[in-house]
Amino acid sequence: MANYDVIVIGAGNGGLSSAATLAVNHKKTAVFEKHNIPGGCGTSFRRGRFEFEVALHQLNGMNTKDNPGPTRQLFRKWGIEEAIEWIPIETLYKINLPGGRGVALPADKKKACHLLCREFPEEAESIRRYFHIVWKFNEEIADFLAKSAASPADPSELKKFITKTGFPKIYKVLAKYGVRSTQDVLDEFFKSRELQLCLSAYWCFMGMPPERFPFSILARCMYLYTVDKPYYVRGGSQVMSQALMDTIRRHGSDVFLNCGVKRILMKNGRAVGVEDENGKHYYAHKIISNVSPTITYAGLLKDEEVPDACRQYFKSYTTGISALTCFIGLDCPPEEIGFTDSFNLIYDSLDANKDFKNAYFTDTKTDPIVATCYTIDDPCVSPPGTSIITAGTLKYGGAWEKLSPEEYHRTKYAAADEIVSRLETRFPGLRGHIEEMEVATPLTHMRYLGHPGGAIYGYEQDLKSSVFFFPQDEFIPGLTFSGGWVNTCGFGPNYAYGDKIAQSILKEGR
Amino acid sequence: MSGKPIKDMIISTMQNGPETLKELEMAKKTGKDISLERGEVQKKVAQYHPSILHLTVSEIEPVSPIASRIRLVSDNGYLPPFEAGQYINVFCEIGGVRTSRPYSLSSSAKQRAYYEITVAAVENGFVSGHLLQHLKPGDHLEANGPAGVFRYQPVFHSKKSVFLGGGSGITPFVSMIRTALESGEDRDITLLYGSRTEELAMYHRELSAFAERHPNFHYTLVLSDEEKEGMEHGFIDAERIRAHVPDILDCTYYMCGPAVMMEFCRKALEELQIPGRSIRREVFGTRRDIWNEPGWPEGMTGDEMFQIKVGDQNIEAKSGESVLTALERSGLRVNVCCRSGECSLCRVQLVSGKVFTAQGALLRHADELFGYIHSCKAYPVSDLELRF
Repeated sequence: MANYDVIVIGAGNGGLSSAATLAVNHKKTAVFEKHNIPGGCGTSFRRGRFEFEVALHQLNGMNTKDNPGPTRQLFRKWGIEEAIEWIPIETLYKINLPGGRGVALPADKKKACHLLCREFPEEAESIRRYFHIVWKFNEEIADFLAKSAASPADPSELKKFITKTGFPKIYKVLAKYGVRSTQDVLDEFFKSRELQLCLSAYWCFMGMPPERFPFSILARCMYLYTVDKPYYVRGGSQVMSQALMDTIRRHGSDVFLNCGVKRILMKNGRAVGVEDENGKHYYAHKIISNVSPTITYAGLLKDEEVPDACRQYFKSYTTGISALTCFIGLDCPPEEIGFTDSFNLIYDSLDANKDFKNAYFTDTKTDPIVATCYTIDDPCVSPPGTSIITAGTLKYGGAWEKLSPEEYHRTKYAAADEIVSRLETRFPGLRGHIEEMEVATPLTHMRYLGHPGGAIYGYEQDLKSSVFFFPQDEFIPGLTFSGGWVNTCGFGPNYAYGDKIAQSILKEGR
Repeated sequence: MSGKPIKDMIISTMQNGPETLKELEMAKKTGKDISLERGEVQKKVAQYHPSILHLTVSEIEPVSPIASRIRLVSDNGYLPPFEAGQYINVFCEIGGVRTSRPYSLSSSAKQRAYYEITVAAVENGFVSGHLLQHLKPGDHLEANGPAGVFRYQPVFHSKKSVFLGGGSGITPFVSMIRTALESGEDRDITLLYGSRTEELAMYHRELSAFAERHPNFHYTLVLSDEEKEGMEHGFIDAERIRAHVPDILDCTYYMCGPAVMMEFCRKALEELQIPGRSIRREVFGTRRDIWNEPGWPEGMTGDEMFQIKVGDQNIEAKSGESVLTALERSGLRVNVCCRSGECSLCRVQLVSGKVFTAQGALLRHADELFGYIHSCKAYPVSDLELRF
């Protein structure tokens, strides 16, 4: 038996960041991780001469040393900003349209707006208005958050003001665009489908097609990535995960690797500890689960320990999408096959919503392809003269779960082959330069993450289940959650949310 | 008062807000109960990657004077699918020490009634000797896997395969050949198999029979220590490869065998100007004479003894044996699979001290930055402190 202030189940981004903040603030914390390495999604693996990043494309919230964004501020607080080499990226993304046209958007509001106006002169007016609205939207959010924080009393001054005046009068842009889909908003502004694709890119970061992707997340992404610039990390996300783990240990807290949690221990309706996979018990005042709520409630707790209200609450959340990813190591530099930008979205038709529907099947004939060339961000990511590209598409786990084991490998390679063939039409010679290649399917993600459906972004993040509606309600005293299942997924948001959860525990403890 | 009512109030005044709230209410009525997910993920994952395989020996049969094939059936009747060329890591307890060894599966991947591994006697082989002497039908074994990346990858490997096998390194090729030929795959396979003598060549009869039956399989046995009619004498060098492979640049090459043979073949392929991307190499155990590997600290013999501190335990370690071996000898349970540097399961933190890292340890950038080692490929060259 061992006692801690806080126990964290899972060393993913959410678990590590919560634990780091707690450990730095002298809370004796224990993190349990079933894998041999920390990080969850934030990890990498080796094949031959290559180390493949698994999850990170672009880190947000960094900005510069002198003008640190929220993510950089966290790394500073945890004492690991200096231990890591941060690499700024100048381009947000490149949209590769059908027919070969490509639009690479600079991470700069003025330049991006200017470029799009040049590419789509007939809609220049709307483009300028759109950028104005996106920025205005974010300013209103900032104002709302600041005012909420400044009036903590309940009912607060802000609440009274909103009730009296009406929300749409105070926050015009938020009220108009806050709960609408990306497609809906883009249709309001633009006629050109091509232009719409050039602006909707971040849908793939949340795994929702434009017609279901909340515009509010798109507007946040666009703004935050532009203002703070996207960053990559030398050595990939595993470096951040390891640095966080070492911070936790350095401050006298524990991280147990190769040690999964078998169940959460309950006493009088309260979560009081955990039993690890070796049968050892640990107790704490608070348990943070970095495991999905689904698996926490339906795996670490008994049915009778889970309140009916909890099961009812989670009915409106559906398991989100997974991915099929090809990790490719090439024996040539990126320019030799025409790769010029790091983060690419590739469309073979102008109807992203229709193409997305193929996510429910195993083949990859029409799915939009996300291709990231890490060598563009960091030429040292692999040996000189080589390059790394990860290319894949979002896929739901269902079709893969239904395969018979006999069909699995063939299906996996057929899907990967299709992706490589489609890439070849834009980047001729690619296949002939492949030196290493690994393919991950939804089942691979399910194996390593333990997530239902192999989900990589948590629950489906559509209008009714994200932004205002993240599943953050708590049902068992002593048990709370941190991670992409209960918040906007992605590295920056997860670090921030993990820190927030830790802060609220620190506050409780005072 | 919680924040909820005001949230709903705000949203209901936003464009598309009432519709979204209504949708949410509907979803609460029609959604799936999370309790239905109980056990589902484990069940699905275990179809492919059970955390441990419980196996029973069903048959043992010699395939050469020094090697036997061992058929293993599953205690629960289920064996996961694998890709021909992959291995399982077999655990055994010898004299109170729990250790393990990876063995390539040699059975066809097209059937999963049993797995077949082939165990050859190795000089001073701790595990192979034990298995060959003591294992009998009906015995139980634990293993993990199947795992490994030495396999035919149809997306970028050529349909023309050249297998270069040496000694007991033939075993993954046996699986690959059985799998490809039995299922009539559209591939062309050339096998050059190096063995000291004909008698020591494993699966020789089966491979010869395959070659007679299948025009797309070409088999040549190359004997180094004897000359026999109808067989080639010598080593698998560039000239021999060229003689047996008409279009050398259109093929993918696969090598598996003892370190010396692999190095020899690597040079041969280099001489033939085969690009690196067309060469696949199986990691094949750890060399016993690590002190002969390039970079080994000068003046050290492999017999030096050091202390390894792990938590409050102090254990003895010999420089010529991997850190993993020392940990296992002391009774510590280490997560392990490939024992060849590539899977990273035996990764531990090197808090202080120095190790010699053998070739083939696929460390991550973060490992080097924060001082982590793969214990199977790390040899103590000073006293060490480790952290799990």
